Amino acid sequence: MPAVFSIDPRSGVPLYLQLIEQVKRAVALGTLAAGEQLPTVKALAVDLTVNPNTVARAYRELERDRVIETSPGRGSFVRSDEGNADVRRAVEDVGASVLAGAVREARSLGLERDTVRALFERALERWFAGNDREDT
Amino acid sequence: MNTIAIRNLTKRYGDQLAVDDLTLEVEEGSVCGLLGPNGAGKTTAFKSLLGLLRPTSGTLEVLGAPVTPATFESLAFVPERNDLYEWMTVGEQLALARRTYKTFDPKRAAELGALFKLDSRKKIKRLSKGQQSAVALTLAFAFRPRVLVLDEPSSGLDPIFQRVALDLIIDAAASGATVLFSSHQVGQVERAADRVAILKDGKLVLDGNIDTLKGEEKIVEAVFEQNAIAPNGLASDPRVRRIESSGRVLRAFVRSDSAGIVRLLEAHNPKAVSVYDLALEDIFLGAVAGPANAYGEAS
Repeated sequence: MPAVFSIDPRSGVPLYLQLIEQVKRAVALGTLAAGEQLPTVKALAVDLTVNPNTVARAYRELERDRVIETSPGRGSFVRSDEGNADVRRAVEDVGASVLAGAVREARSLGLERDTVRALFERALERWFAGNDREDT
Repeated sequence: MNTIAIRNLTKRYGDQLAVDDLTLEVEEGSVCGLLGPNGAGKTTAFKSLLGLLRPTSGTLEVLGAPVTPATFESLAFVPERNDLYEWMTVGEQLALARRTYKTFDPKRAAELGALFKLDSRKKIKRLSKGQQSAVALTLAFAFRPRVLVLDEPSSGLDPIFQRVALDLIIDAAASGATVLFSSHQVGQVERAADRVAILKDGKLVLDGNIDTLKGEEKIVEAVFEQNAIAPNGLASDPRVRRIESSGRVLRAFVRSDSAGIVRLLEAHNPKAVSVYDLALEDIFLGAVAGPANAYGEAS
């Protein structure tokens, strides 16, 4: 079953970047499983009502990031290398950009580094409760 | 190869300059959306490209050669005002197209007619403007042309049929067609096109890959403790289109390297600096409105 991607063409974030992020997220969450086939460029472009060259650009970059692989005539698939370090790195990429955005926003509110760190620790504690708490 | 090439096109009506030294090339397989206020020269550019108007000067090519009647075997043009035979029925108009175009695909025409809910027995002149546009689009897409030039293809269409028209453009592009279309709806260009060209007063004021533009065009906003004073040279920095300041806030509309502008502003001890994305609509409005020298060449 093709994964459903939600993109916003009206956003100021380039569409191909939105798509890359969505695919990485789907791989991270497992809604796109290792070895699973992605829709063709044409099918996805028609499905999302977006320009096919934009979809093709996203696929090319995902291939370069070794998240997907394309074999001519067969289509594009989520890579299924053992242990798939590239997929894990893709997951970290998504996480890193989310956190970077949060830190940037916090700084743009005028918060100091120490305040941001304290807030981050508090958030960690809330969402990773029960893990290492000795340093707080 | 550039499938569509408009080079240094100028078209003058008397002392009025409708198109002013326009160069616009669309490469094979690309979809270029042409935006611009009314009277910007979009229709004049299309008609000149297709040999329907004699340009004052310039070079115009489709598929590597000047347009001749033979070009129309692989090119479909949907003009702003349709050129259908009003006394014919929809069915007769389609039958005529079938005889005219070797590659006309009657099955595809029937599919498109069904998508647009066209009644083939109705006379063209009895149709609403939107239905007439739907007939023109059906004719254009049913012969699977390699090149499509569409002047406001969705004018008069309701939102549902506008989406059908977008789907047709996307489907054609996915099959390798090259498309140049004009629209007043930025959202359509944002979806269907990979490239945007913005015309104002006959001049090309902005042109580029949409995702690249979105990646580069940003607003960098700095908030200072006291009244914002623009750092020396910021307004004339080539990376900056224009700056605005009010009270403690300084905004720079950046055309590239927003990270560099952030560093530049941070050197002046602001309380905070943020970067905002610009949607294509903002980029378009910035390009056609505001001070005359905000975009394009300085006056």
